[in-house]
Amino acid sequence: MFDLLTEMWSFAFMRRAFVATTVLSASVAPVGAFLVLRRLSLAGEAMAHAITPGIVIGFVTAGLSVMSLLIGGLIAGVGVAILTALLARRTILRSDASLASLYLIALAVGIFILSAAGSAVPLKSFLFGSILGIDDASMMLVGGVAMVTLVSFAFLLRPLIVSTCDPVFFETQTRRPWLVDQGFMLLLVLNLLAAFKTLGTLMAVGLMILPATAARYWASTITGQLFLGFVFAVSSCWIGLTLSYLFPDTPSGPAIVLVAGGFFIFSAVFGPLGFGGRLRKPSVSTETPVAQIHQEEKAQ
Amino acid sequence: MSAVLELRDLTLGYRDLTLFRRLSMDIEAGSTLAVLGANGSGKSTFVKMLLGLMDPLGGQLNWPSGRPGEIGYLAQMTEFDRRFPIRVRDLAAMGAWRGFGFRGGLDRAARDRMTAALDEAGVLDIADRPLHQLSGGQLQRALFARVIMQDAPLILLDEPFAAVDQSTEAHLLSIIRRWRDEGRAVVLVVHDLSSVLDHCSHALLLGGQEATHGSVSDVLTPDRLVAQGYLSESQAAWMFRGVPTASEPAHV
Repeated sequence: MFDLLTEMWSFAFMRRAFVATTVLSASVAPVGAFLVLRRLSLAGEAMAHAITPGIVIGFVTAGLSVMSLLIGGLIAGVGVAILTALLARRTILRSDASLASLYLIALAVGIFILSAAGSAVPLKSFLFGSILGIDDASMMLVGGVAMVTLVSFAFLLRPLIVSTCDPVFFETQTRRPWLVDQGFMLLLVLNLLAAFKTLGTLMAVGLMILPATAARYWASTITGQLFLGFVFAVSSCWIGLTLSYLFPDTPSGPAIVLVAGGFFIFSAVFGPLGFGGRLRKPSVSTETPVAQIHQEEKAQ
Repeated sequence: MSAVLELRDLTLGYRDLTLFRRLSMDIEAGSTLAVLGANGSGKSTFVKMLLGLMDPLGGQLNWPSGRPGEIGYLAQMTEFDRRFPIRVRDLAAMGAWRGFGFRGGLDRAARDRMTAALDEAGVLDIADRPLHQLSGGQLQRALFARVIMQDAPLILLDEPFAAVDQSTEAHLLSIIRRWRDEGRAVVLVVHDLSSVLDHCSHALLLGGQEATHGSVSDVLTPDRLVAQGYLSESQAAWMFRGVPTASEPAHV
């Protein structure tokens, strides 16, 4: 076991991969936690697809550089976010339907342009990333995004908690409630871009959502949720990277997300707020079981 | 008594629907105003307008001593997500979150104030429980603790008793009485004619594109309630049986 670790550590690309995913975990974990709490889990997935045409157009016109990725992705992400808000506010569609319509168009545009341009980069690395080939610029991108994210969260955390827990109340508390919403969406796009290079568009959201949903089964406080989410994310990365080192033909993105999925299933079965909670706490408990919440929500 | 808020010639509604026209009234310090009306008559819209979340179609809101930095607000409980991972204590603290700044803990005075608020709302013993473990009544008490923490001169409560039992209702009414005695103005959206009205000094009846304001006994007459679509004639006759009305004097 120890031999394996020293051998793995002796390769520069593995060291980079471990450092990059550790920093990435610290950055995406809080974003994922609030995606889940704000009921935007699926919106996160949709947004990951929505930024594809921006990345592709940036790549086709300016090559596979971090700057083209960042600029193209930001324009596409922010554009889709604004259009979604516009459609939801001015037309009959709700925001989920608006976002779904837009991300399907965006994904199709992205893949169409990529194929039409006869790209040298295979589709597979767009979808699943290429964590084993991270260069210095990508490391800088991950580090930069992590810094921006963590500093933003230090300032945004309280308003974000209040606006997530009780949006109606939050609206009465500030003149610019949309600032928090849009700021959070911007952080989401930035983190998707940081994760894109390493995990690909299909897997990027996996490292956000799965550790957060797994943590949700154990934590009853925000602090616990954030901390556990990070622990699950970083563990998924380390175990996933080791797995993909042991089985050289497996891409690292799916390996990492698969481990995160393992944490999720384990938590759903054994976590106190999952199935396990109801099995171990029979009706003598004074606590309201999850089943009662379901019933009351149905009644409303 | 001094007015916290003066409404002048207020017209409220949406682009294609006017809820009422040219309402002028004062919301006074130390008063409790009950807002009644049929579904869709604009009770919640009225509250949202007072909060500044919505502009009236016409008229003015004047704040004689300035718009307070904090307006106490309790939305209808159905709008609340009970699965959010937060403890009762933190929910109450939310009432004063702007005062705590972006980070840092609560100082001694804030902690004392919070303990008092949790105690008065009757949730001190469950202060460390997460929200998903609370009953509907306990959650409403926790939300009242948050309103207490807001410490506002004007307090707006949207159907606070819709989903709570009688003993919780009585407990929460005692808190409302204290607010009134302290000279705060309380606006209370109520969904039915009940003993809650005994605790209100004024009433505002919405419906039929009209708004009637006055003392509870002046506004909530059978004729008015029928005219503004709140009760049918037979409902009014049953509810007010034995009560003399203007059209039919009681036999002595």
